Amino acid sequence: MPIYLYIDRGSFVHRLHPTVKVLALFVMFWSVYWVDNPIALVPIGIFMLCVAQVTHSWPNFYRLRWLFIMTFTAMVPWLFYRQGPVLVHVPLFHLSRYNLIFGFGRGIKLAELLAASILFLSTTKIEEFTLGLQRLGVSYRVGFAISLAFRLVPLFIDSAVTVVDAQRLRGYDFDQGGAFERVRRYVPVVIPVFMGSLRKANNMAMALEARGFGHTGEPSTYIEYPVVAADVIAFLTLVAIGAGYFMLYYSGLGGIGAVK
Amino acid sequence: MKTQGEIAEASVNSAGVSVDDVAFTYHEGSRPALSGVRFAQATGQMIGVMGASGAGKSTLAKCLNRIVPEFEGGEFRGAISIGGEPIGALRVCDVAPKVGMVFQDFEAQLFSTNVAHEVAFAMEQAGMERAAMVARIGPALLAVGLHGFEHRDPTSLSGGEKQRLAIASVLALRPSVIVLDEPTTDLDPEGKLEVFELIRKLRDDGLSMIVVEHESEELRACDRIIVLRDGAIALDGPPRDVFANFEVLEECGVRPPGLGRVLRMLGIPAIPESGEHAYSEIVKAYPRLTTHSAAAAPSSPAAAANNTAESPLVQVEQLSFSYPGGPPGPAPKVLDAIDLRIDPGDFLAIVGQNGSGKTTLAKQIVGLLKPTAGRVMLNGKDRAALRPAETAREAAYVFQNPDNQIFAPTVADEVAFGPRNFGLDGDEIGRRSDEVLAAVGLSEQRDSDPFLLSKGERQRLAVASMLALRPRLLILDEPTTGLDHREQLRMMELVGKLNAEGIAIVIITHTPWLVAEYARRVVLMRKGRKIFDGGVREFFMRDELLKSSSFRPPEVTQLSRRFNTLALTPAEMAAWVKGHA
Repeated sequence: MPIYLYIDRGSFVHRLHPTVKVLALFVMFWSVYWVDNPIALVPIGIFMLCVAQVTHSWPNFYRLRWLFIMTFTAMVPWLFYRQGPVLVHVPLFHLSRYNLIFGFGRGIKLAELLAASILFLSTTKIEEFTLGLQRLGVSYRVGFAISLAFRLVPLFIDSAVTVVDAQRLRGYDFDQGGAFERVRRYVPVVIPVFMGSLRKANNMAMALEARGFGHTGEPSTYIEYPVVAADVIAFLTLVAIGAGYFMLYYSGLGGIGAVK
Repeated sequence: MKTQGEIAEASVNSAGVSVDDVAFTYHEGSRPALSGVRFAQATGQMIGVMGASGAGKSTLAKCLNRIVPEFEGGEFRGAISIGGEPIGALRVCDVAPKVGMVFQDFEAQLFSTNVAHEVAFAMEQAGMERAAMVARIGPALLAVGLHGFEHRDPTSLSGGEKQRLAIASVLALRPSVIVLDEPTTDLDPEGKLEVFELIRKLRDDGLSMIVVEHESEELRACDRIIVLRDGAIALDGPPRDVFANFEVLEECGVRPPGLGRVLRMLGIPAIPESGEHAYSEIVKAYPRLTTHSAAAAPSSPAAAANNTAESPLVQVEQLSFSYPGGPPGPAPKVLDAIDLRIDPGDFLAIVGQNGSGKTTLAKQIVGLLKPTAGRVMLNGKDRAALRPAETAREAAYVFQNPDNQIFAPTVADEVAFGPRNFGLDGDEIGRRSDEVLAAVGLSEQRDSDPFLLSKGERQRLAVASMLALRPRLLILDEPTTGLDHREQLRMMELVGKLNAEGIAIVIITHTPWLVAEYARRVVLMRKGRKIFDGGVREFFMRDELLKSSSFRPPEVTQLSRRFNTLALTPAEMAAWVKGHA
């Protein structure tokens, strides 16, 4: 199974200028941030589903389906929050219309943030991410470090799984005790993963230096990204989406109170 | 062999690498990692660097591109020049265009999402124009046999391909010298073969190279071998001279080539440069041997013993497995209808290319994975119904990297971790800890910090921590990877001793001589299927099977096949020759 999410499909989204793609990620986060109303979140959700279809990103959505399920558990705490007239009397729960809508909105919000990230990583190479950040004024070193972090996450997860397996074989039960005890019981995992990560990071840093990283402050680029008409159209569309969602917030239509 | 003075003189005229009286002590080091190292490499020369772990091989390699002392700090003395230009005042990144460095950890030196980008990476860092990069990428990939791979994701390449890509990426900068620090340690036999074939090809093309390596057979093609001992040069000269110094090599923790050992045992003074050479020397010394053709190979006792023992320790029945979580549709089978029987006291080697299912099979046996179809029986009971403690008493698994499990503050605590989890009382834990630490030779280090042990000691500690659970079967995944010859022997002596005491052993390995000298039975895996299960001798007789699996027998075994017999060790080969002369 590939450890990265990038899917090389060559759709027009894949071909967009890296800066536009970084901007698109920002606009998606921006738009979702301002709005709590589940109905107002629907259009941007549909927009993302269309992008997923065009970019053939569905395999990544399937791979990370458990994360989507987890995001919807975010609505559960709101069922305990006492606000608005109660709809159904259930012990402990305060099932009001307000709670349900707000919880549902939070669930959609988190799912859309996750979807935006998956779409970005499905269509953007690490090098493009670095370049996109660079064009937005982030230094090459910082941009490279951020994009490298994305590369390291799957490696560290892989390492953690191996360590958990190794300790389980020695009879270690990670599920014993209460919440605090469970966290404490991960010490036999954290130490080997941390030590392994340090070693891996050290090897990478050495290999980077050995390949001339830092020889020039602003390295040249192998891939050229000319700005074309599609980039301009995408840019204007994104600005319109971002502005539109801010207006929803500003006018109050994006708030929970707008749901009749 | 050259004297130090001659080498120093040569360095003045050399256009390659010149190392002049280099000494280095790491900040945290109690003794110098290098001292008084002096040699000069002529342009186009290939130098092999050998020595035990801690002898200074990697430190020397890192000095050549300033990682030592720029990145890994310490006290550095001496001078190094590349192409006549001193590099003492340069940063690591400034040396990169002159010295290409390829590391052992091939995962850690690839940074890009496609092969062409990867090759371009170092050129981008050097600020080269795009047109120049485009002009160099094709030839670099062609040189390493990866032409046509330009758009592939590097993570989808095999280990050997990844290492060749790393070489291409440094080749593109057209450095004066390429330094390879144990480039094949983590590779399977096919990957090793690919990389060493490439190294030989580049050498024939006239590229200057310095190769750090444990296996002496692989360095026979070098122009010169340098053997380090405690940071100083112990031997320096052409391979035929260096490999004639058996005693010094052994003292330095280097395994002398098997062919040389055979000739020495036979009293033949020649140092063989190839299997062909060794064969002709033996035939010259023992002319009657050629008449003994078609001698029958010794029988395979392990194969005969198979299926005749008491009830099996492990019985794998029609086991299939696919990893869940992939895209919809039928998932590829990582294991496909495997049948396997392991009896008490067995010594089994599982071999096969990376991704053939060896480790997955081991994880199925110890219960880390659940079968998609079929079942695993441990001592007559379905493994799926056993609790972890019951499984651990039957079968234990030692991971390839001991650092995946070590966390405790002392060696004794690390060993006690498993028994404590299984609820044993303090006295019993103490008894077991003493027993297993003595068995693996770590009693004196019981209060030491495990992270301060050598790799070989950490590997033995990992074995001890599983032995403390008193399993009847011990599975070791690549138990000798990254260890020097002395540590390898010590580890395998331990494994052999445990087997003699009645513990069944399964080793997963890529190392042919380990299989030949220690195992009694071999299982060969390919694409999730078991394609061979039988005695070691029978396995090494199957020339076509070995070839199609890229599993190269030890040189001594290959030599014996020329005489139409089968020897697994140098001693066996020499005895056969003497017996048939």
